Amino acid sequence: MKIRRADPHTLLGAYALDALTEADRARFGRHLRVCESCRREAQGLREATAKLAAGTVTRPPDRLREQVLATAARTRQLPPPIRETSAWPGRRWGMAVACGLLAVALAVGGIAINTQRQLSQEQAHSRAIAAVLNAPDATMMTAQAADGGTATIVMSHLDGALVFTTARLPILPSSRRYEVWLMGSGGARPAGMLPAPHQGMTAPMVVNGLAAGDKVGLTVEPAGGASHPASRPILLLSLPV
Amino acid sequence: MSERQSWPSPGDREASPPPAHDQLPPELPGDLGGLLARVARGDQSAFEAVYDGVAGQVFGLARSVLRDPAQAEEVAQEVFLEVWRTASRFDAARGSGAAWVMTLAHRRAVDRVRSQQASAQREFRASSPEIDYDVVAETVEARLDAERVRKCLGALTEVQRESITLAYYGGNTYREVAGLLGVAVGTVKTRMRDGLIRLRDCLGVDW
Repeated sequence: MKIRRADPHTLLGAYALDALTEADRARFGRHLRVCESCRREAQGLREATAKLAAGTVTRPPDRLREQVLATAARTRQLPPPIRETSAWPGRRWGMAVACGLLAVALAVGGIAINTQRQLSQEQAHSRAIAAVLNAPDATMMTAQAADGGTATIVMSHLDGALVFTTARLPILPSSRRYEVWLMGSGGARPAGMLPAPHQGMTAPMVVNGLAAGDKVGLTVEPAGGASHPASRPILLLSLPV
Repeated sequence: MSERQSWPSPGDREASPPPAHDQLPPELPGDLGGLLARVARGDQSAFEAVYDGVAGQVFGLARSVLRDPAQAEEVAQEVFLEVWRTASRFDAARGSGAAWVMTLAHRRAVDRVRSQQASAQREFRASSPEIDYDVVAETVEARLDAERVRKCLGALTEVQRESITLAYYGGNTYREVAGLLGVAVGTVKTRMRDGLIRLRDCLGVDW
């Protein structure tokens, strides 16, 4: 089993130095779009790295100037962009989405397009999610499942709860479903069945009753669920205390 | 600042020789953002001013990362065309014009190095990390602004400094830097970030 825990903020320095691989950079770029404080810090660090270039000043060959100006003169310019800021998932919700919640925020945004029928139930659900996301100690983790796919978890000890979403988990036969567990010193406690995926992602589920020292796990169980995990977890993540 | 030499304008380029290496503008023009706004509207004289203000840095940075002057020249040309083409994307609310241009330049150089670097070359780079810093240190000594950079780099811890220089001047990823320095990947990530924060504060960056 491969478990990866990433606080994306530690990548801010590497990002500002272009020291991320392409995949890391793309992932971090998505994170920046939903994390305003990260954007601010990244800007400041970029200003610093731009100054580092002063240490390399070298006169280019004279022909470069002519080539550049001549090529520019016959190159069409891009029109001003249509700013995408108002389309950020968090904005529509009108709440300050905590940093690092892109996956969750997108999934939460998906709730809004569900049917009217369960509206009040979903509003309660959304409030529960918002409570975790906005908790002062909200922490995000991402873990990779054994057979592919990832789980993104936002947890808050203050709230005693976590929000659990997944992306790109292997599709199961209809007789089987994913079940979420909290695993503490007293053994595994069932925390609910993972909802069916929508475009590869599962809507966020709220897991309450989080205790210090718990791990969160994911197993494949019969569709009706199980009270004890019958298989090895495909994902097991220690939560920070 | 009053002694700062400006680059020759197109008209007197033939008459007066370009300034010597150590007389290049020591820092980026302060109104680069304003120039870029004009470039976005198709103003070619503003574009010339942008070129004259930052060509030494763009070319120098590309040469530092790529090592090869011919490739550095190609990258510098690509960078300036991108500046011309995408100037309307520059947003002064998100950072200075200098940071915008130098970010384009550094990314281009790094992308090129990563896309074409054969594994053999990579091993060679990995075996001679000291080259990155020495080349830089040599050119840094010449200029005032560069001197400040050097002083601020010198105030960092060794791991902070080497993490930053190997990545920025050498174009290495943080994993490669970790391998070169023989320290944990997590340590490098952390040192890059706190090193840059110290550098930012030391250089008095207003962001």
